[in-house]
Amino acid sequence: MLKTPDWELMIVWYFFLGGIAGGAYFTAAVADNFGTVRDRAVARTGYLLSLPLVGMCGMLLIADLGVPRRFLNMLGAFKFWDPMSIGAWMVGVFGMFTFVSSVLSFTSSEKMAALRRKIGLVGLLFGFFLASYTGVLISNSAMPFWSDARLMGALFLASGASTGMAAVSLLMFVTGATAGEGWGKVKKADRFSMIFELLVLAAFLFMLGSAAKPITTGHFAPLFWGGLVAMGLVIPLVLDLVGHRVRALAPIAAVLVLVGGFILRYVVLMSIQA
Amino acid sequence: MARTLAMFTDTSLCIGCRACQVACKQWNELGLEVPDWTGTYQNHTHFTDKTFRLVRFIEEPKPTGDLAWLLMSDVCKHCAEAGCLDACPTGAIYRTEYGTVNINQDVCNGCRYCVSSCPFGVVSFNETTGTAKKCTFCNDRIHNGLGPACAKACPTDSIQFGFRDDLVTKAQKRVETLKAMGFKDAQLYGADSKGFLGGLNAFFLLLSKPSTYSLPEQPKLPQRNVVVDSLLSVGSAIVIGLGALLAFRDRGQGDGHA
Repeated sequence: MLKTPDWELMIVWYFFLGGIAGGAYFTAAVADNFGTVRDRAVARTGYLLSLPLVGMCGMLLIADLGVPRRFLNMLGAFKFWDPMSIGAWMVGVFGMFTFVSSVLSFTSSEKMAALRRKIGLVGLLFGFFLASYTGVLISNSAMPFWSDARLMGALFLASGASTGMAAVSLLMFVTGATAGEGWGKVKKADRFSMIFELLVLAAFLFMLGSAAKPITTGHFAPLFWGGLVAMGLVIPLVLDLVGHRVRALAPIAAVLVLVGGFILRYVVLMSIQA
Repeated sequence: MARTLAMFTDTSLCIGCRACQVACKQWNELGLEVPDWTGTYQNHTHFTDKTFRLVRFIEEPKPTGDLAWLLMSDVCKHCAEAGCLDACPTGAIYRTEYGTVNINQDVCNGCRYCVSSCPFGVVSFNETTGTAKKCTFCNDRIHNGLGPACAKACPTDSIQFGFRDDLVTKAQKRVETLKAMGFKDAQLYGADSKGFLGGLNAFFLLLSKPSTYSLPEQPKLPQRNVVVDSLLSVGSAIVIGLGALLAFRDRGQGDGHA
């Protein structure tokens, strides 16, 4: 006789946007540090995308509370073993990183750029944290579907990376920043993340066994198999691999990955709460 | 810390009068609820934000084909290792000096993580106050030398209140007596402080296996997996990181010139 917390759409959005913010920042920091000068558009796009997303994350978290004006109570305690407690802190800390990196992405001074790269290397750890801790959070609950596999955090992280990269590549396409080789590199890294996500997802389902029923069978199954596995991962991978000479397919693939990432959080949260 | 207090609910003595449920409602001013009409005497089907004590009416098939009543007054277990307490990010859920678990209503901000962390589905969210609610072990009463209202109201001593060590000794004797009387499945649930969740400060004597009463056979602390989950997330991050590193290190043509 377990009780679900009844976290609804706001938390689905939070999990989804937090993943993108973490993934986008990470992509930016890697491009900034290990890419060439011509990858600079990737870095700037990723940093500038993560900032508003983290802001939205914070607002969603506060709005979802039973008593929103008491949100600061989260910062009155620090429990390092408790994902909900550290998570609240880290949204704030990562938010500061995205802010500083975004501001510094406009600099023309080489000294400041060097500083930004160093900050990015530290910040990407917090980005990874934001993308994955939500999975660890729900898997440390009494719900069998959430807690029986040890890979919810790893899965959310892979999804955060793939959706973050898809968002960066989409934004670069929309803003016309696809001229350099950076865009191709983002797409390449995204393909890798998606393949890895598929593998983690398979291991996750295997570990869950019959506890995976809420998403693999019944009401949510079409959304899971059709929306996430087929439309959100396999089709974009095929589009990207088969049709990578056709420019117009890239944004379509990116949008599909993003929709798939949302569906992942949606089915995981809602299938046992509906 | 003072000597640990406990409630011992001996289901073999319960007559299903629900005096405990009513006393709990009255003392804690829990207010009215629309009943769940489910075809049994039991109301509600489960704990709510306004039902902290709940008499369960279970019909167990007997070998003869008849049904036997199993009655059980259920309550928050005040676990020695409490999932809700570990989950609470504000520190609103705390352990009292008597070993009970309580929610400070002035600190709780309604994140509902405790609701998902209770292995027994006890903690409930109240939409009106926006906070989490559960049995307080009558915190106000025990700090004034009174036992919980439910134990006080129980006419058959099915609910007993006292020091935990005393009650456990008493409960063990009671199991022996019942077994001698022919109740071969009589057993204690949560009395063992070396057992699951470090023992329950509201423990039970059951006449059948725990699952008959909708209780988990081996409840587990939700937080037991946080280290493994985190390490696997770090592993996932390293793989993703290497993939991205290779993609950006690549000075070749990539596929960006399509």
